Amino acid sequence: MKNVTAEKKYMPEMPQKEVEELNTSIKDASEKIIADNISRMKKTDPNRPAGMQYFDEISNFFGKRQKEIQEQKAKGKKVIGYFCVFAPVELILAADAIPVRVNSGWYDTSKIGDRIVPVEVCPVIRSTIGAKMIGLSPYLELSDTVISTLTCDGMTKLSEILSDSTPVWTMTPPRVKDSPQSLQLWKEEIKTVKTQIEKLTGNKITAKKLKEAIETMQRASKAFRRLQELRKGNTVIMGRDAMLVNQAALWDDIKRWTQKTEDLCDELELRIKQKAWACPPDTPRVIVTGTPMFWPDNWKLPTLIEEATPQGVLVGDEMCSSDRLLYDPVGIDEWTMDDMINGIAERYLMASTCPCFTSKDGNEDRVNWLINKVKENKAQGVIYYVVRGCILYAMEYTRVKKALDKLGIPVYYLDTEYTREDVGQMKTRVEAFLEMLTARVDI
Amino acid sequence: MYESLAGALLGATAALGLALAGILGILIWKKDRTRKLSYLRFFIQVVSLVGIFYSFTLALWLSGFFLVIFAVTFFSGRFFCGWVCPFGFYMDVVALVRQKLGARYFSLPERVNGALNKLRYIIAAVILVSPLFLGGLTITQASGIQALFLRGPYRPIDIMLSPLEPLIVPFTGSIASLGFNSWSFSYPYARDILTYISIPNVTLVLIYVFIALTLVSTFMFRRFWCRFCPTGISIAAANRFKALKWMPLLHISKVEEKCTKCGICKRVCPVQVTDVYEQKGGDVKTSICLNCMRCVEMCPYEGCLKMNVADKTVFKTRNWLEPSNSE
Repeated sequence: MKNVTAEKKYMPEMPQKEVEELNTSIKDASEKIIADNISRMKKTDPNRPAGMQYFDEISNFFGKRQKEIQEQKAKGKKVIGYFCVFAPVELILAADAIPVRVNSGWYDTSKIGDRIVPVEVCPVIRSTIGAKMIGLSPYLELSDTVISTLTCDGMTKLSEILSDSTPVWTMTPPRVKDSPQSLQLWKEEIKTVKTQIEKLTGNKITAKKLKEAIETMQRASKAFRRLQELRKGNTVIMGRDAMLVNQAALWDDIKRWTQKTEDLCDELELRIKQKAWACPPDTPRVIVTGTPMFWPDNWKLPTLIEEATPQGVLVGDEMCSSDRLLYDPVGIDEWTMDDMINGIAERYLMASTCPCFTSKDGNEDRVNWLINKVKENKAQGVIYYVVRGCILYAMEYTRVKKALDKLGIPVYYLDTEYTREDVGQMKTRVEAFLEMLTARVDI
Repeated sequence: MYESLAGALLGATAALGLALAGILGILIWKKDRTRKLSYLRFFIQVVSLVGIFYSFTLALWLSGFFLVIFAVTFFSGRFFCGWVCPFGFYMDVVALVRQKLGARYFSLPERVNGALNKLRYIIAAVILVSPLFLGGLTITQASGIQALFLRGPYRPIDIMLSPLEPLIVPFTGSIASLGFNSWSFSYPYARDILTYISIPNVTLVLIYVFIALTLVSTFMFRRFWCRFCPTGISIAAANRFKALKWMPLLHISKVEEKCTKCGICKRVCPVQVTDVYEQKGGDVKTSICLNCMRCVEMCPYEGCLKMNVADKTVFKTRNWLEPSNSE
């Protein structure tokens, strides 16, 4: 547990009063932004599916879900936060703990993070540091421990900085994805985390429990994929709504989330039968790829795309915060403990399209995934979204562009920051791109 | 004469009908998409075992079987090994028992697996080619190490067909290698050991050692024998030479774009074929693959892996997360 007397290596001593002031002001602003985002989503699609009601509620960080976790924590359950999609959620569930993803999407806290790290650092990292400094993120504060996967340089140092105030477990993903020794290392990491989870929660992860957890996640994947499937045809759900549903899986109770998503899909299927589209069928279809976007503040780009004139629609994305989340199930051949651990290790390492990897066979996973998504969702354009400081994604742009050029799909590189100042300028850029897509449709 | 023929024909028709009904029953009854094909394969293996058992009673099985396997393997890859072979079936049963005991399996290092695959040719060459040079030898002429391989009237085809020998055999007496009371037992290759190494006392011990070794190795490694079994060679020959690449009409083919490299196909493969995982699309042609289709069944991406027969897809990967609503 937190050792208060230990010397802090990174975190500055902030006066309690300042922390409280910042916390309340940003929290108030954040609540307003959440409400504003939702009201704008409602405005874009006046005939919004009724099933979205639940996700609107759960999306409030300072509402229902926070209280639930608090209550369960009081009953003795442990909360385990995690940063990247690499964290083995199945193991956390099997040990009867609550997994919750704690990446920060607050713009304002990135300014506070600037006090510790320079502005060149990726804003996701800065914002998370800032959120920790003022204790803003309810999930990060409730976490008994945080699993940090050292994917990029930012994440590596973030885990070190956070360990000043929270216990952090680090997991090292290998950099070469497909060599046998990489998989061996990663399996060892998974096993280590397993023992750590067992030690923290005091619950032994048995084969039976793990099987249950894997099946729970498979059911979640099923609902998740069903929603993706429904987005392939004419638009029945706006991209932002679908993204919100995806993101809710990061902090919601996964069983309830699965149920609610299935309900939403039932409703959408009915709408497809009635041909009640969320936007005109000839709206330009766009896919976003690149740096993960996090609720609530970093909702800038999807909002711009779907509120622009001419309007565009987000039909999918290639982001580890949204469409990549639960796409891959853990496939188990034999339900023995060993095979399950192997299955989990392979699902998290090998199916990942994180740009932090390279591989001997040409590292084509991400490009292939994107091309498949573009083809299946009939996207007309791709927006390559990068926040400043996200070097890995920025460097892969040329490669993605070359691959998409071959298909004749226009790609637009959009770099931005965790700030609201460039919204006007971004709007012009996005609208120009959408204009171009509409012109292509006319031809 | 005609009556008995008609009776046999009737019996065969009835058996075939029952088998087909069983297949249909499994297709309808088994909803779990990750197990459906496995159940089907299991059923076909049982049916084949029964068929092979009865063909043993007909005495014409030997060379006829060899021709059938050779032809089938030539056109369908090692389909025979994965779906029919009784020895393969035993190994699957052993694996099932192991699963029930909750024990893990081990994997061979890729290089060892590749080396074993090559060992197949050497074993087959020894079995098939040596009679050409040493065929004239009599028991007295062959001695020492030679005797190990060549004692008695040498019948390479007999050895090649040994995996077909069921555990309980219809014949008794000297042909049945392990007799207990009135039951007749045998084990693949046991009869060959009995025939070619007939040293009193030692032979039976050798047989038991062989059984123990294969059982233990199968318990640890899935389908261990299949990795170097010489019977699976005819397909290998077809794959070796470029001119014959078109021959196997049945093979797995992959769509590269749909693959996310999640590695499930690599892990579930009972003989550790890595080609399906590593290959960038196209037909998978490797002599290790048994065509058991476990990878096609387990791949979670719609239409990523396909089973093609003469360029027609008979079975393709389905998103097994979705409940099956057809059939």
